[in-house]
Amino acid sequence: MIQLFNVCKAYQRGENALNDITLKVEKGEFVYLTGPSGAGKSTLLKLLYCAERPTRGQILVNARNITRYGPARIPYLRRNLGIIFQDFKLLKRRTVYENVAFPLEVQGRKRYEISKKVYQTLKSVGLEHRLKHYPLQLSGGEQQRVAVARALVVDPLILLADEPTGNLDPEVTLDIMELFKSANARGTTIIMATHDRNLIRQFPRRIVALDAGSLATDDLPLFRGTNGISGQTGMTGQP
Amino acid sequence: MILRAAYFLKRALRNMRQSPVLSMASIGTVAVALALLAFFAIAVLNVQQLTASWGENLAIVVYLDDVPDEKIVKGWAKDIGTYPEVASVTFVSRKEAFERFRKRLGDDADLVEGLGPDVLPASLEISLADDWRSESVLTTVVERLRKDHRFDDLQYGQGWLEKLEAFLFLLRVSGSALGGFLVFAALVIVANTIKLTLYARQDELEAMAMVGGTSLFIKLPYLVEGALQGLLGGLAALGLSFLVFQLILQKSLGSMLLITGIDTIHFLPPIWPGLLIIGGGFIGLLGSLFALRKFVRFVAP
Repeated sequence: MIQLFNVCKAYQRGENALNDITLKVEKGEFVYLTGPSGAGKSTLLKLLYCAERPTRGQILVNARNITRYGPARIPYLRRNLGIIFQDFKLLKRRTVYENVAFPLEVQGRKRYEISKKVYQTLKSVGLEHRLKHYPLQLSGGEQQRVAVARALVVDPLILLADEPTGNLDPEVTLDIMELFKSANARGTTIIMATHDRNLIRQFPRRIVALDAGSLATDDLPLFRGTNGISGQTGMTGQP
Repeated sequence: MILRAAYFLKRALRNMRQSPVLSMASIGTVAVALALLAFFAIAVLNVQQLTASWGENLAIVVYLDDVPDEKIVKGWAKDIGTYPEVASVTFVSRKEAFERFRKRLGDDADLVEGLGPDVLPASLEISLADDWRSESVLTTVVERLRKDHRFDDLQYGQGWLEKLEAFLFLLRVSGSALGGFLVFAALVIVANTIKLTLYARQDELEAMAMVGGTSLFIKLPYLVEGALQGLLGGLAALGLSFLVFQLILQKSLGSMLLITGIDTIHFLPPIWPGLLIIGGGFIGLLGSLFALRKFVRFVAP
């Protein structure tokens, strides 16, 4: 599903944000991207959704080399992705319904199709009673659930989550993780950046650890995930 | 297709509702710039019309201080009438000249009350034939008349016409320059206003890009918004200029041009109102294009 070959990313400051990363993520896998702040977790995710371009190396998503994608093709790649941020990035002047409907509007789906899908997705995250509310009328946990609904409404092949539980209390974190687990069980590949060790202990999955832009470790889960991932998928960055 | 267009129009209207102050600023800028342009156009077009009518009536007037016997004057007129360039020669008596002047004064005719026809001289009005109506022919005829000692007080306004034409040219050039400057200023202000709204909605643009919105999908509502603001600005400019025309311009320009014989001041010709509105829309569209050029590239690399 996702393959990175010797990927480097350098910013103008000169320091490398990512160094020679080689990584393979299979379809339906759930991978934690961990490491201290500045390790390159967010940069790696940005490379996957083409908000940044690698300085060197190749990235394949669904067997297509996305490093060669021009600006016109990037939107179509993103339509197969669900992206979740720590700060939710919801549209404050739009209702919960409108926020979740937005990716479907972008894809030009029919109105009745949009309303059906949005309702189903909001119901799956337990917010069908908040349709007409605005994001700022919701709690942090509810806002993140809206963000998850927005990411899942398009049935994405891959879900990229950048510290999605960073601003949430432990109880709400568990709710969000349950949503990720069920999406993963339906076949969505998930890459989640986090440095929450407790969370990783509670929901053990494959862990890719970055340190100062390099791949530090790539550990297979201690316990098999609900979707029964294979133990052959991980690759270390070491030659 | 229609549904898609309606979607973008709805979003543009919604954007405008959400930032009423910025929208009003854009509309106001376009309106003021185009209204000033319209005022200039009204003045220039009316003066132009005036000189065109003067051009059609290129004439030489021979003033006669001492009016000889009617027979003699008719002989003079006959002599001048033999010139190939001359179409007609009309004798205007003191009385006729006075009556004409009274008529021209219109409501202010009481100004000459108490004065007699003696205050104005009698004259011979010489008009040129259609084929010979030019300044050079006028000069030739005047030179020929000057050689005749009977006609020493001639008025043909050539120097004055030249000056008027130079003034008109200056008016047209400065009007175009000022108009161009105003349109450019409106363009920059509209672009900056839209840029401000874009900064205020950066999160929205980012979200659009993250869920797979194409560059066109992200840009279109803002382009529609710019064009709508421009169209409304153009419409407001039309209303404003018509109002100012009715309340101020018609009177002030009218009294200025009264002495020249023009009694009606015209508003913009029929095609202008449409041009003003479409021009406004174009300014708005161009302004938002400038604003979006770099912005969306940043949001969707």
